[in-house]
Amino acid sequence: MNVNAEDQVFIFGVRHLSPGGAKHLLEYLNEVQPTAVLIEGPSDATGEIQHLTHAATTLPAAILAFTEELPVRTVLWPFAVYSPEFQAMKWAKEHGAAAAFIDLPSSVTLALQDALRSKEKEPSAIPEGEERRSIYSRIAELAGESDYDMYWERSFEQNANPGAYREAILAFSAEMRTLGEAKEQRERPAEHAYNTLRESYMRRQIQKTIAAGHHPQRIVVVCGAYHAAALADLTEAMSDEEAAGLPSRSTKHTLMPYSYYKLSTMSGYGAGNDAPHYFQMMWEAMESGVLEQLPHRYLASVARLVRSGGTHRSTAEVIEAVRMAESLAALHDGSAPTLRDLHDAAQTLLGHGELSAVAEALARVDVGTAIGSLAEGVSQTPIQDDLNRQLKRLKLEKYKTTVASTLTLDLRENRRVASAEAAFLDLNRSILFHRLLLLGISFVKSQPSGQEGATWAENWLIQWSPEAEIQVVEATLLGETIEVACAYMLREKLLTCRSIEEASALIHVACCCGMTSQMEEGSRVLQKLAADSRDVVKIAAAARELSMIIGYGDIRKVDTEPLIPLLVQLFHRGSLYLLDGSGCNDEAAGGMITAINELNRISQDHSEIIDDQLWVQELLNLSERDDRNPKLSGFACAILMERGAITAEQCAAEVSRRLSPGITADLGAGWFEGLSMRNRYSLLSRTSLWEQLNHYINSLQDDEFKRALVFLRRAFSSFSSREKTMIGELLGELWGVSGEQAAEIITGELMEEEIKMLDDLNDFDFEDL
Amino acid sequence: MSTNQEQLQDMMRLPAEVLYSHELEALRKADKGKIPAGWQMSPRSVLTFIIGGKAGKTVITPKYIGNTRLIEMAIATLVTDRALLLIGEPGTAKSWLSENLAAAIYGNSGLVVQGTAGTSEEQVRYSWNYAMLLANGPTPEALVKSPIMRAMEDGGIARFEEISRCASEVQDALISILSEKTISVPELGKESSARKGFSIIATANTRDRGVNEMSAALKRRFNIIVLPAPSDLETELEIVKKRVGEIAASYELEASLPADEALLKVVTIFRELRSGMTLDKKEKLKSPAGVISTAEAISLLTNSMALAASFGSGELTDSDLAAGLQGAIVKDDDKDKLVWKEYLDNVMKKRGAQWRELYQACKEMNE
Repeated sequence: MNVNAEDQVFIFGVRHLSPGGAKHLLEYLNEVQPTAVLIEGPSDATGEIQHLTHAATTLPAAILAFTEELPVRTVLWPFAVYSPEFQAMKWAKEHGAAAAFIDLPSSVTLALQDALRSKEKEPSAIPEGEERRSIYSRIAELAGESDYDMYWERSFEQNANPGAYREAILAFSAEMRTLGEAKEQRERPAEHAYNTLRESYMRRQIQKTIAAGHHPQRIVVVCGAYHAAALADLTEAMSDEEAAGLPSRSTKHTLMPYSYYKLSTMSGYGAGNDAPHYFQMMWEAMESGVLEQLPHRYLASVARLVRSGGTHRSTAEVIEAVRMAESLAALHDGSAPTLRDLHDAAQTLLGHGELSAVAEALARVDVGTAIGSLAEGVSQTPIQDDLNRQLKRLKLEKYKTTVASTLTLDLRENRRVASAEAAFLDLNRSILFHRLLLLGISFVKSQPSGQEGATWAENWLIQWSPEAEIQVVEATLLGETIEVACAYMLREKLLTCRSIEEASALIHVACCCGMTSQMEEGSRVLQKLAADSRDVVKIAAAARELSMIIGYGDIRKVDTEPLIPLLVQLFHRGSLYLLDGSGCNDEAAGGMITAINELNRISQDHSEIIDDQLWVQELLNLSERDDRNPKLSGFACAILMERGAITAEQCAAEVSRRLSPGITADLGAGWFEGLSMRNRYSLLSRTSLWEQLNHYINSLQDDEFKRALVFLRRAFSSFSSREKTMIGELLGELWGVSGEQAAEIITGELMEEEIKMLDDLNDFDFEDL
Repeated sequence: MSTNQEQLQDMMRLPAEVLYSHELEALRKADKGKIPAGWQMSPRSVLTFIIGGKAGKTVITPKYIGNTRLIEMAIATLVTDRALLLIGEPGTAKSWLSENLAAAIYGNSGLVVQGTAGTSEEQVRYSWNYAMLLANGPTPEALVKSPIMRAMEDGGIARFEEISRCASEVQDALISILSEKTISVPELGKESSARKGFSIIATANTRDRGVNEMSAALKRRFNIIVLPAPSDLETELEIVKKRVGEIAASYELEASLPADEALLKVVTIFRELRSGMTLDKKEKLKSPAGVISTAEAISLLTNSMALAASFGSGELTDSDLAAGLQGAIVKDDDKDKLVWKEYLDNVMKKRGAQWRELYQACKEMNE
């Protein structure tokens, strides 16, 4: 069909977040002076345009559409001040032109994306992404650039020739389309169909605008570059019946404040960009006509941040950095440095070759900290909906009052009810509460459960407040639903986590929140941190935490299988470094005793998965070594005896070796103290051991005896009087005194003389002890 | 001429501009870009010379395998007549790169100061022929110019190897040279100013003993580029394979080249221990105290080949490799031994049948 040039509307293809595009688009609008500006965006959200361009609105902001029922699906259209679309809306407002969105309504988009998702489950999406990347990296390679972003910035953003941007992007996207469309139709028919639907709907909206009285030559359509070629010909527009037949889900939409940080973390073509603040700087430089100053401004900002971090960098270095960036650009026949050129120059000159020295400054200048804001009452976010829905599902609505109330949960399965939902009602409540706690929403507070060690019982204090409402809205920035927001929060926390304790605590939190994949992520982080640690006490504590999570994951219905390899590894590490860590003073020995206890408990609780042999071997080593802390050696010996890893004879031999006359009293008694810290009944039942001790004491000289007495007294101080009596009886038998007589002497009152002797002992001169 | 050729062949090593003279020639002929003052060819051609490609019909072999962007940065530095400092761990091809850059840009990589703890300021600036100095007093003929001074007068590139090994005072002699681009000779009452094209490429080690910290003032006068260890397994494999082949050929080792599998194992172990992480990034590892560079992987393999050729069957066995690995990884003390043991038990043991024999051999060696 012959298209009359008169009947054609003007199409301006853009990249969604492109300052160059915005600049050229404004020039174009000024030239064409349209009466209607049509923009690619959800047509049911046209009403949001007035809020977006409202004087009280600060960008970045996003239009958010979300389904009202579960599963919550959302779709997002973020705008920054340099978005061509946003500048077009602003232009329309200032010049009294009509502005409207013309893409499929969000209700249809969400329904279609649902359908797409279910259809494209089987063929994995990865090769497609790779192939796409490879086309782009091929383009970059042909242009002699290191990556596609560099190519794009050099060829499009920095192209200042009037009209060049529009022409170039039209040609570029038309070529890309002919290159990829047939393939897309063949290999990803669903996506191709979706694009075709969108385009035919957009044509329909354009025709409607013409029918409403706008002259085609006074209409400018702003759309993604990919669609530009397809919208020129308006013949295949969607008919009314077809439009009515589109699937649809009931949705809401709202404006929400957005942040540059979020914008920079979104990936994919057009969806976001890595350096929003940099592009804002570029936009501002373009607006004031000083684009050539961008490298100076950028590098000076970086230098300022580096300086404020305490590292001195001279102005001469900034100048040299600009020169280097420009010379890098010249190497690629570019007119101005790209972001990558600036990065490399900053690393070389301001970081003295080290990226780490400038990385933080670069990230701050690239991304920026801008957070948008909206006029009062414009926002109704999906996370608020999500919370309300969950409260309803878990029968918690009645607690949403400002009156505080307590709730006790029993996490175990309730076997008296019919549905699974009801059986795990309390467990699900607990998960929700833990998630709110994680998000810092002050609706619930955890209270210590009355029963010590009852992992199935939890007490909560619940109270709603206006602050809680605000906290919920703020959480929107983290994710659209409570679960998504929690996942995000945990990931962020894991990224900044620096110690083993923190990491294991986070794994615990993830387990309480029922977030399995974050648990796995946490275990990776923990693994990384643990690899650098030789601290047995910390390793043991982390292993204990894991062992507990594995132990009671059952109650929370969490799959703890993925944690097992990590437990095995931590245990292995703990065992290997046991000997290393045992060369400590008495003060640190207390912590080591706890660690050994914990590791031993793990070795028994999880004997089927961990390397028990290694543990016993290391304990044997520790028990035999003389150059470690004697208390710990004694303690290791006690455990070995208890586990039957050494026989009574071996133990007796060890006792006699440790308590032989040549050994100084503090070492011998310290060892005995360690030995007596485990199961005392097994000690008490071994007569040979006491014979050895008796023999040792007999062999001591007077002075040595006094010394040993001090330590032995300490060793026995933690024994109960019943145990002391038993020892008395044992020793009595050895001395040929009847058990009763001995016991009488021990538990009886002290004689005056004896008191005096003990007092003397208090004045005992410890000399070199 | 023919004797000259033979002499050249007897040399252990030829300078880059001789070794690759035909490539440089071809690049100069095919060059279409703008040539900066004092340069032999355009920056683009220099880039091609280093990373490989084609000039007309001549194939240019790659001299540096790895990050192309770093080479671009190095060249951009020299275009802006700044001095270039290449920093890196031992075995990251710093000197190799500096030699090839000088050969391509200036056509002469021979103006070198080889830095040691004993390098004096005269070797950086100038000294005198004392016989002539005593006979005639200070005359231009009696002046012995340092390589740096000669490069200045010629508008060429001087190289300063191992700059961080020199005493700080000697390093500081460079400060005014680099900022003023002149060396004054007060004895003659004259100044020797740099012609266009003059620059210095220095190299320095980061992780070595006997290294002097460079002053901030000097660092400010250099553009500093850190050469990393090869960024991925394939690159490193390629480098190791290429170099092992070259070395084996030049020393005429009579052992068969290591199988790809052995190469892969050695490079994998080196990479994992160096980065402190398994290749799949799932597990973090402890790194040993010493440096384990690509160059060491190369020498480990050639040593093992020499062992196998002289005392074994000529085939590289797992125990040859294990001995080499033990020596390369456990350098200092018991701590390295524990690290290696942990790696063996936690990582290598779980790698399955292909690794079993090497694991056993290493384990025995480490007992």
